[in-house]
Amino acid sequence: MKKRILLAEDEPNIVESLQFLLERADFDVSVENDGHLALKAALEETPDVLILDVMLPGLDGYEILRRVRTDRRSQDLPVLMLTAKGQREDREMAIEGGVDIFMTKPFANTDIIKAVTELADRPRP
Amino acid sequence: MKQRAELTLDRSIVGTRIRRRRRELGLSQTELARRLEISPSYMNLIEWNKRQIAGTLLRKTAIALDLELADIDSTSENRLLEALDEISHLPSLGALNIEDDQAGEFIGRFPGWARAVAALARSEHDATALAQALSDRLSNDPFLGETVHRMLTRIAAIRSAAEILTAYQDMTTAQRDRFYAIVDEESRILSGVGEALAAYLDKADEPTSTLTPIDEVEAMFDANENRFEAIESSVPKIRHRLGETQQLPRQEGARKLVVEYLRPVITEIIGLHPQIETNAARDRAQNALIDYGVSAVLMPLADFEHQAATHHYDIEALADIYAVEIEAVCLRLTALPRGRNTPQFGYYRANAAGSMIRIVGHEDLTFPRYAPACPLWVLFRAQQSPEAVIRQRALFPSGARFVFVARARNTGPTGFGKPRHYVTDMLAMTENDARHTVYAPDPSALVEEVGPSCRLCPRQNCDHRVEDPLAD
Repeated sequence: MKKRILLAEDEPNIVESLQFLLERADFDVSVENDGHLALKAALEETPDVLILDVMLPGLDGYEILRRVRTDRRSQDLPVLMLTAKGQREDREMAIEGGVDIFMTKPFANTDIIKAVTELADRPRP
Repeated sequence: MKQRAELTLDRSIVGTRIRRRRRELGLSQTELARRLEISPSYMNLIEWNKRQIAGTLLRKTAIALDLELADIDSTSENRLLEALDEISHLPSLGALNIEDDQAGEFIGRFPGWARAVAALARSEHDATALAQALSDRLSNDPFLGETVHRMLTRIAAIRSAAEILTAYQDMTTAQRDRFYAIVDEESRILSGVGEALAAYLDKADEPTSTLTPIDEVEAMFDANENRFEAIESSVPKIRHRLGETQQLPRQEGARKLVVEYLRPVITEIIGLHPQIETNAARDRAQNALIDYGVSAVLMPLADFEHQAATHHYDIEALADIYAVEIEAVCLRLTALPRGRNTPQFGYYRANAAGSMIRIVGHEDLTFPRYAPACPLWVLFRAQQSPEAVIRQRALFPSGARFVFVARARNTGPTGFGKPRHYVTDMLAMTENDARHTVYAPDPSALVEEVGPSCRLCPRQNCDHRVEDPLAD
């Protein structure tokens, strides 16, 4: 059975590329481009991996991460944060918030597929 | 760190100059003492700066040495002395063991070298301030932050699509065309973002350029030393009309007059100042000049100058005398003509979040525009004791000493259960200038070590540091 990836990203061209790459890597991809909808999907659809942009309309990535980590349904959900905000304090804030992997834009396609695969294969309690 | 001796500003170097001149003329100390009708031992004390000399004796000495009074008067040298004293206590020069007690002798014997050292220190101070402004701009400028974010996002889209085109040869033609289109579209957007950034940086390269409306208005005030003669000279023509607005509170009545009669003057002032570049700054400048006009109506400059000196610049006493708010007094103090015994004041207003909402800067006080200032300033502490006037004796890493006077006030409606929204008004003056005010600190008063901002502060062991310094 294919692993399910929730892609929370509002840049349509990046979504298109990532969707193509992830489907080629045999993942099942669903996309949300709004913060509130992304949180709802993360809590209710229990994907195998959440790829989370920081600058999302409605609710930013850090707030989504905080709520994901405090909800029983999603507290162990592997999260890859993907952002153009790569300053030290952004990285520290993400790690403190409980992100599993922090990646900055621009990214290499091979790196992101490798990271998502690692998270999807990680055994969950 | 070297223990700093208390600077005595009255410590004169007049004696050194008298000694040098006497020797040039080939006079003995005894002979000069005889001509001045004082004892040789007293003459000796004067020449070695152990006794002050002033008044009649100073004038007689100038005549005896064939000098103008200004040649041996020590006002400018005292300023130089103060500058050298600050330099000798710069933390970065601490290891050099500078003979700070010899500064007067140095100025007296080598005035040109002394001025050169002070000029170099001033130049270094200005360069540091510029470096801070540029650093603050890079790390905190919202436009730059947003633009960099947009560029990285566009580059991410281009790179990912380009890698797909290269790595996946088995794509359908439709898929291939779609990714080519993404590269094309994103490249165009990236070009536009890059051009906007280049135009912005091109403007920022101008050393006098101003980047926010607040900066533009402050530059206009700076260019006028915070005083607008066109308004001052117009105010006497309308002040008598204040009686016509008796139905309004005094301040509102003055505002009505200014808006009604001084608008053309204000518009002309703004038009004459190239510092005001944007519409937002024009609106701010207009409001700031209306405030200025209100102060000018309620606190006529000549009278205010007299009252301020009489009451030793006590902001509460002056607020009572003119029945105005303390912040109006603070702003009016910044407009006083700069004179020999008139302190120079800077004015800073901050809200509860620590954001600066009004600055009429003091030329010797480096203030970060785009980054948080040092949290140890009383400006950010006064809200713990609202409505109380609090004084702080502040020592900067450069050795510069300032006296800060701050008071927090509620700006919203009051009433049980209503939240208070405080802003803080702060006056800044050098400790030397503070001697002319009620805020002159007792020499034994606590001196608090503060900084301009973490980025520029070399105090490595400060418990309140939140950012690394620019240079370790």
